[in-house]
Amino acid sequence: MTATEQRSTVAPSRRRTRRTEGRRGGGGAAKALSAVAGVLLVGGAMGMQTLHLSDSEFGDPLVYSGAKGEAVDARRFSVKLESVAVAKSIKSSTKTVETDHLFLVVDVAAKSSLKPYHLKEPVLVTGDGKKFDATDRVDNSLTLSRKWVQPDIWTRGRFFFEVPASALAGASVRFRLPGASSVLVEPYRPEAEIDLGLDEDAARKLAASPQAVYSTDKK
Amino acid sequence: MTEPSGGSTDKPRRPVAVPAVGLVALTAIGITALLGGLNEAPDEPEPLGQGAVLDQGRYETKFVESRVTVERAQSEFQQDKRFLELVFDVTNKGDETSAVGRPPDKIERAFTAETFAGSLVKISPALPKESGPFIFVRTKGGESTQLHPGVKSQVIVRYKLNENEQPPEKVTLDVGTFEFVDNPVFNDPHWKLTSKEVGDKHMPEIKARVTLPVKKGDGA
Repeated sequence: MTATEQRSTVAPSRRRTRRTEGRRGGGGAAKALSAVAGVLLVGGAMGMQTLHLSDSEFGDPLVYSGAKGEAVDARRFSVKLESVAVAKSIKSSTKTVETDHLFLVVDVAAKSSLKPYHLKEPVLVTGDGKKFDATDRVDNSLTLSRKWVQPDIWTRGRFFFEVPASALAGASVRFRLPGASSVLVEPYRPEAEIDLGLDEDAARKLAASPQAVYSTDKK
Repeated sequence: MTEPSGGSTDKPRRPVAVPAVGLVALTAIGITALLGGLNEAPDEPEPLGQGAVLDQGRYETKFVESRVTVERAQSEFQQDKRFLELVFDVTNKGDETSAVGRPPDKIERAFTAETFAGSLVKISPALPKESGPFIFVRTKGGESTQLHPGVKSQVIVRYKLNENEQPPEKVTLDVGTFEFVDNPVFNDPHWKLTSKEVGDKHMPEIKARVTLPVKKGDGA
């Protein structure tokens, strides 16, 4: 109370002196402070811009990722990577295909949440970002893409890739649904990415001892 | 006190140099313009032969050979088939699997090509449409249509030869290259064959002209 009273009495003169003081000496510091604040604000604004999604990122799928052995729920469907095998040849009832590289066989189980789907052929993403389509040398009918994936029923099946041994380390497999149409592009398509869990050593070990023949007849 | 002939110093000289230089410059510009301006002259395709390697941007391609091959009949009801084969070693330098593709029907349509065989914009002599070409990747004992990233694959482009049909002495290929386009407006980054607009058409830029002598082998 006393302070305000005092202030009210002497206020006019004090204010005047403060202003003139401010103009003369304290002004530099205040200006510098506001300049710094301005720079920070502009910097902050520019920083926020980098978080802005580009058009292509808006079109990117929503990827749900997980590890081998766990069920990865991509909301419309779930996938579980059961096991991984490598082989030098794939034997089916009609023919045997061989390779100079390696066949990577991923054994998966999948279910959907609401309606039945066929999964699209997955893509293998290597540690350095290369994308391998599932091989066309093994007939579609041997893969999970032929089977209906139904709500709440785990359906087991395989997918086949033909890759060089160097592609195994750090690789993951991306499962997706087929596009509804080629014209309409659906934003935020769900995809499930499952890490094969192969580090350098495990990849080398796996590549060093491929099965001579992987038979698709056995269940 | 005779005046020197040829004009006095105080008489103003006729400005001849300026119009003369002007006229010469104008003529030079006119001729340049008539000859198509100062645009860069189109690069002549690089002549390449058997075994040559060409960097096509998306692919690195070795032109291995051209040969006649025979597929022996599997049963007595079939006949031996003869093919004219063009053999390439193609390494996909991109970071995703690409299809092997097809050569364009017409050179005007070549500019839409994104994949390897689409860069073979002209194959001469032209063979009839019903004889091919059939394009595939030959892998260990099998066929595929995929070129995987970082992997070297053998690509075969082949034409079926009729009985008694003589294969050409040599095959000449006009080969284009690919460039990566990432247009922020269309938001569709992809590889495309390097081409340019000529009149109302897009014509592919021919990077190399490859001549392969046809090896007759046992099928001739």
